[in-house]
Amino acid sequence: MKLTAPQIEHLFIFTRQHYVEWYDLQSELVDHLANAIETQWQENPKLSFDQALNVEFKKFGVFGFMDVVEKRQAVLSKKYNSIVWEHFKDFFGIPKIILTVAMTLGLYLVLKFSDYREYIFLGTYLALFIVMFYELYKNHKATKNRKQSGEKRWLFEETIHNYGYFGGILGVPLNFMVHIFNHPETYLENEYWTVGFSFFLVSLILFLFIIFRIIPAKAEMYLIATYPEYKLIKL
Amino acid sequence: MKNSQLYKGSLNTIIMKLLEENGKMYGYEITQKVKAITQGELNITEGALYPALHKLEAEGILDVEIEKVDNRMRKYYKLTEAGTKETVNRLAELEDFIRTMQSLVNPKLEF
Repeated sequence: MKLTAPQIEHLFIFTRQHYVEWYDLQSELVDHLANAIETQWQENPKLSFDQALNVEFKKFGVFGFMDVVEKRQAVLSKKYNSIVWEHFKDFFGIPKIILTVAMTLGLYLVLKFSDYREYIFLGTYLALFIVMFYELYKNHKATKNRKQSGEKRWLFEETIHNYGYFGGILGVPLNFMVHIFNHPETYLENEYWTVGFSFFLVSLILFLFIIFRIIPAKAEMYLIATYPEYKLIKL
Repeated sequence: MKNSQLYKGSLNTIIMKLLEENGKMYGYEITQKVKAITQGELNITEGALYPALHKLEAEGILDVEIEKVDNRMRKYYKLTEAGTKETVNRLAELEDFIRTMQSLVNPKLEF
C-alpha cells in the first residue's frame, strides 16, 4: 500500500510541527517516513497511518529531528565559511590584489598625514558598523516576510542570508578600536601599527562586501549546486 | 544502533561500502540494507544516518541526485570520484582495525 498525496502533505506538516522549517530537509525526512510507513503496512496492513507514523518518529529518539537539523546546519555553516574564505583569498590573487593594496595604501596615507587620523580611523570602523546594522535589519525583515509568505525555505539560502555565524562579528574588536582612538600617539604615529590597522580595516571592508554583496548576488548559483531539486522547484 | 559506541566510528565506512556496491541509494534503503545484511544485528538509527550522509556530502565524498518517486521527491546518494578512492582507503583502515582488535581480543600466545 502506498501513501496518498494528502498523507504526504500531512508528513510535510508533521516535520514542520517538529521544527524542520526547511524544504530540503523536510522532503528527505518525508520520503524516509513514507518508506518506513509503507514497510510497516506490508507487515501489518491494519495499522493506521498515525500509529505507523508514531512508531517511526520514535526511532529518531527523544530529540526528534533536532539532531538531524542541527548537524545539517553545522555542515552548511562550514560550507558557507569556506565560500567566504575562497572569495576573501580572491582579493589576494591577481588581479584583485591591486585593489586590496591600493585601498590599504590609500587608508595608510590618510591615517599618516591627516590631523584627524584618530577620527578617520574610528569613523571608518563606525561607518562599517552602521552598514552592518542596516544590512542585518534589512535581512531580518526579508526573512520575516519569507516565513510569512509560506514559500519554500532552503537551509543554505538562510545560511547565506544570515551570513553564517558572521552577523555581528564587527562588535568583537570594538573595545580595542576605542582604545586606539583614545591613544593615537601610541598607535597611529607608529608606521607599523598604522600599516597594520589600515590592512585590518580594509580586510573588514572586503569581508563585509563579500558577505553582504558578493555571496548574496551568487546565491542562486550556490543553491543550485547544493540542491539538485532547487532547479526543479524554483526555476 | 546496537553497541553504538563500537559501531559509531565505522558508520561512514559502512555507508561508503554500501554505495560502492549498490551505486546509488537513499537513506531509508541504507538502513534496511544494513539490517538485512546483518540479519537485524545492526540497526542504523535515523538520527545518526542523515548527519553522516550530509557530512560526507559536504566533504565531497558523496554526490546527490533527486528523483520523483510516487508522489514525493527521493534523494539518492552516490560516491563521487574522490569518494570511490577514499572508500578503498577507509576499507583498508577498517580491515586493519579489525585485525588489530582480533589479535588483542583473541591473542595467539607463542612461547
